[in-house]
Amino acid sequence: MKNKINLFLVEYAINALVRRGGKHFFIGFIFTFLIFLLSSTLFISDAIKLELGSALHALPEITLQRFVAGKQSDVPIQRVDALLDIEGVKSAIPRVWGYYYFKPAGVNFSVIGMDAFSRQYTQTLQTIVDGIDMKALEKENGMIVGEGVKKILGANYYQDFFNFVTSDGQWKKVFIAGTFNASISLEANDMILLPKKIAYEIFGMDTTRATDIVVSVSNPKEISMVVNKINLLYPDMRTITKDDIRVSYQNIFDYKSGFFLSLFMVCAFTFFIIVYDKLSGLSSEEKKEIGILKAVGWSMDDIIKEKFYESFILSLGAFMLGICFSLFFVYGLQAPLLRDIFMGYSNLKPSFNLPFSVDGGMLCLLFLLSVPIYIGATLIPTWRASILDADEVMR
Amino acid sequence: MIMLRDIRKVYTSASEEVVALKNISLHVKVGEFCVLKGASGSGKSTVLSLIAGLSKPSSGEVMVDGKQISKLPDTFSAHFRRRNIGFIFQKYHLIPTLSVKDNIIVPLIPENLPLAQIEQRVQNVMEKFSIAHKATSMVKYLSGGEQQRVAIARALVNHPKIILADEPTANLDATLSMELMTIFEMLKNEGVSIIVATHDPLFFDLACVDSIKEMKNGEIVS
Repeated sequence: MKNKINLFLVEYAINALVRRGGKHFFIGFIFTFLIFLLSSTLFISDAIKLELGSALHALPEITLQRFVAGKQSDVPIQRVDALLDIEGVKSAIPRVWGYYYFKPAGVNFSVIGMDAFSRQYTQTLQTIVDGIDMKALEKENGMIVGEGVKKILGANYYQDFFNFVTSDGQWKKVFIAGTFNASISLEANDMILLPKKIAYEIFGMDTTRATDIVVSVSNPKEISMVVNKINLLYPDMRTITKDDIRVSYQNIFDYKSGFFLSLFMVCAFTFFIIVYDKLSGLSSEEKKEIGILKAVGWSMDDIIKEKFYESFILSLGAFMLGICFSLFFVYGLQAPLLRDIFMGYSNLKPSFNLPFSVDGGMLCLLFLLSVPIYIGATLIPTWRASILDADEVMR
Repeated sequence: MIMLRDIRKVYTSASEEVVALKNISLHVKVGEFCVLKGASGSGKSTVLSLIAGLSKPSSGEVMVDGKQISKLPDTFSAHFRRRNIGFIFQKYHLIPTLSVKDNIIVPLIPENLPLAQIEQRVQNVMEKFSIAHKATSMVKYLSGGEQQRVAIARALVNHPKIILADEPTANLDATLSMELMTIFEMLKNEGVSIIVATHDPLFFDLACVDSIKEMKNGEIVS
């Protein structure tokens, strides 16, 4: 019976929140907004991390680029045979690809040349190619595009075809033969897959050359050794490992995180102003009420419980509301404004849907850094007032 | 039975010490109606405050019903006050933003009684003091007399054995004061001990008053 929650006390607490509605509404609003801002940042960051993780997983182990006079240059395809002779190399696949800048939308598409019999360097591409009749595609002058590309072209009146401008300034009309919905949207959303022959034409490349060569090794622990051998064999080639790309992505992400760190600090500062205000004491009206409650027979325990319910309802309500708004904002609305700050490379990657990813640990941390601190900040001055004689508090 | 023995109370502020009570002793029997009279600052309110356990004496003992209330820990002292004492304050000390009914319920909240019992008790006292029709009105919109009645109803809702009233007629006109006398008389007849701190002469000639103690400069002089 003693441990039973006193619902009248809870009702009194709710009533007290309503009675000082203006003040509590303001605190609740600020609290909700801060939680919304912080959790939105967390959700976006988690979603992008998840997306990047998937994309990195699909990257080749080693990518070889050729540099001439400090500029990236095409790689002679006959180098593939020499590479395959290196011990530890499992496969070496020449790629023909490049970015195609689509001016009306201000975005770059990744144009990838494929042929019917080559093995693809990622499972995603292999799955896509397996489902396409590449010979027919070549004959029809067709291409398969990612959903993002289809959307952007469609919005710019290219429903069925697109006119590429080739390197010699000619138009190259290519029909849209289909779209693919790859499992990894960040990787596949901006892709255009077309026959190698057309890709060579668009990029103005010699058919004996490739943009780069991707190498896979039998034993991932031997990557550095294979890289050393390649560097000795072809000093004009730059080797980029999956780890190098991971670090590069991470640097971009850390830079963005730094920006958000300052946002976090502003939020934390605002929150601590509220906490400080709470800690600095109760209003004379609140103190008097505590005195009255003591005088009519409430114990310190009852008063602290009532204030606990009051601050718990307010802070938990604001926290939950902030999280709900943030879930809707990030996953329902796809985080307008905030997403653009995070996705600074959107010129290269047309928009994709943020995958649902919630880091429970971070959410718990956010809860622990907000709700209990607010409750504590409310209870400390209440305790200070309630240990005084009722007579003294009411004066 | 209420017994104060060698009570001394000193209020200390940063700049000075004020001696409110100087070794006073007082004895009030069960069912007795005692009036403490004296000018403002004589220490009457301090005596009531000590009996109710709202403040602690600097030295001496306050015994109520055989319990040394000044030495009880907070939880027990609050429990004792809730069950045994009804305090009517000079300035009413109601919560202005609550309704009449909610103000009266306040002392019952920690008791966690069944809702029906709470409703019954509150309804009874509201009817007894003719404020049932104002149950949902905010007390801040009530007249002085109505607020006084709400304060009395709140003091009596827990059926206390002792009523402490501090200048209860200070804000009332003659008619309302007489009404209050009738209420006190009724309570005395129910066996409630009453201690009133006042300088209103109206109390001095009341037939139901059993004893009158005069206070001056923190001492009981007669």
